[in-house]
Amino acid sequence: MLDETTLEILTESAKYDVSCSSSGSARANKKGGMGNGSYGGICHSFTPDGRCISLLKILMSNECLYDCEYCPNRKSADVPRAHITPDEVCALVMNFYKRNYIEGLFLSSAVFDTPDRTMELLTETVAKLRKVYNFNGYIHLKGIPHADPVTVMRAARLVDRMSYNIELPSEQSLKLLAPQKTKNSLLMPMRGLKEAIDRDREAKRRKVLPAGQTTQMIIGASPESDGQILKLSEALYRNMDLKRVYYSSYIPVVKSSLLPSVGAGLLREHRLYQADWLIRFYGFSVDEICAENENLSPEYDPKCAWALRNMHLFPVEINTAPLEMLLRVPGIGAKSAYRITEARKFTRLGFENLAKMRIVLKRARHFITCNGKFYGSGSLAQVKTALLIAGKSEVNEQLSMFSEASTAVSALTGEL
Amino acid sequence: MRIYLTDGSALSFYTAVFDAFRDKDCVLTSQEDVQLSIDSEIVKVVPDEKKCNRVRAGLDALDKGADEEILLSLRSCDPLKEQTALEYIRLIFAYKRSVKKMAHLPAVIEFNDIVSKVTGETHKLKGFLRFIESDGGTLYAPYSPDNDITDLLMPHFAARLQSEKFVIHDLKRKIAGMYNGKEWIMCEAGEAEIYLSEYERIFENLWKKYYKSVNIASRPHEKQMKGYMPVRYWKYLPEKRD
Repeated sequence: MLDETTLEILTESAKYDVSCSSSGSARANKKGGMGNGSYGGICHSFTPDGRCISLLKILMSNECLYDCEYCPNRKSADVPRAHITPDEVCALVMNFYKRNYIEGLFLSSAVFDTPDRTMELLTETVAKLRKVYNFNGYIHLKGIPHADPVTVMRAARLVDRMSYNIELPSEQSLKLLAPQKTKNSLLMPMRGLKEAIDRDREAKRRKVLPAGQTTQMIIGASPESDGQILKLSEALYRNMDLKRVYYSSYIPVVKSSLLPSVGAGLLREHRLYQADWLIRFYGFSVDEICAENENLSPEYDPKCAWALRNMHLFPVEINTAPLEMLLRVPGIGAKSAYRITEARKFTRLGFENLAKMRIVLKRARHFITCNGKFYGSGSLAQVKTALLIAGKSEVNEQLSMFSEASTAVSALTGEL
Repeated sequence: MRIYLTDGSALSFYTAVFDAFRDKDCVLTSQEDVQLSIDSEIVKVVPDEKKCNRVRAGLDALDKGADEEILLSLRSCDPLKEQTALEYIRLIFAYKRSVKKMAHLPAVIEFNDIVSKVTGETHKLKGFLRFIESDGGTLYAPYSPDNDITDLLMPHFAARLQSEKFVIHDLKRKIAGMYNGKEWIMCEAGEAEIYLSEYERIFENLWKKYYKSVNIASRPHEKQMKGYMPVRYWKYLPEKRD
């Protein structure tokens, strides 16, 4: 049986991976088996840092042969090391799942031997979990760069989601900070998996990675601008069909002449997520949000910033504006926009209606008319001030979770 | 003013809707301790299948999804649930169609809120329910949800814990869902005495250790944690209990 110290070391090493989602897979249980997938995902607990626990997130080993500059588990770091066996992982998953502690497993590992051996051990573990233990709950598996594609494909048929971490937003930075990983060693397997998923869907199957792929990159350890980062994300969504790109703000815990001595600031991470959201769900292109070599505005969220640059398009009439335009109004989210387009089929909406419909008008009022009437501030300067005030309280709220980021004792990414 | 008092069942509710439909100033409730005013008169509803079926058939003809949502709303702990559902039903008959998306009507917003609180809690508890393994291997999950949702949770857990035996016990309502490895039933259940399996403490402690280790202590955000996982649910979570 696994002891608590080993679990602690391997959890501590894994916890900085930001991905926690258990969504995207409706895997069915099998006869005599345990577990199934819940398409929307389920959170099982929340930790005092405000993050959700959905999966048992753990490394098989933190004994790494690589020496990535930013990583607390890198070869030259002086940290406690541990590893667990496939059976120990399986027993832990089955017993946690049975008690409804978790929705499934997020398994990763340091490269403790050759990449092939590491990937084989990960694959052997999930194969055992599926076939011997008959576990049909959610599994997210980390891909090991440079590993044999045959092993990777075998793993992809067993699990729900896989992820190769891009790590850094450009090839130069990768070369400098993670020399054992190359752009190709990350993108080639990603592409291989994407093609396998496509073939699978064409054949009307959902065997290979039903919940697709994700990736993660560190922000602020290297000099790339937000514009470049978002361009990369856009390309990854388009070419690799990724479900999510996670951004992880750099925290200086590892002393190195190659790394900045100050953290990236978590506001930047927050703005990137907002921009990412606009690209995926609101029909914005990167060019509209952020120029190639520029950064996102710290003062205004990306939608506000875009609207302020495009005041000639506003105000829009709430009763007639098309859905795509409503989605571009600062403060109106997808749910609100939909609620408006549905309700206005039955009545002409006034300002009072919107408030009762729980539409947040703090920002939106400056960009809309209701039945031709405008309720916002008159001049651009006034609008800017109002938005700054509206934005400030929200950002403070969002960022208090990171208030002591600079004192973090561990680094930002506990794996690979 | 008449106060139609139901026994809390759907049959009784729909009967009351039939009786009270045109009684515009009435109150419809299952709360026995309802506040009486001088001119109020209590009408005890006598459940009547025929009346119930007529209302449901009428509803079905106008809005296929309404009955299911009304049944969900009746599981709510909201003391105004019957009154809100009645007003919602009146709207459906007035407009002669589904009103679900008429978000400008206050009764629609209130009704949708009640329903989404019930479905929302059901979703949350799919995550926050915790089973304890007894010495016989049966899994036991005590809890006290705001709304009456145990039979909504049963199919979810019966599918994933297909080969296990388990009990979900609503301590507040003194009812339990029981699954024997093949099928599940609901029954009344007062108190339960559970003897733990020899592994229970070991896995509970591993889980607590995991919970502690996966937290990033240098980034506290308790408010967000409590927002997503309300304190009233903590009593049954081993990781939050002490």
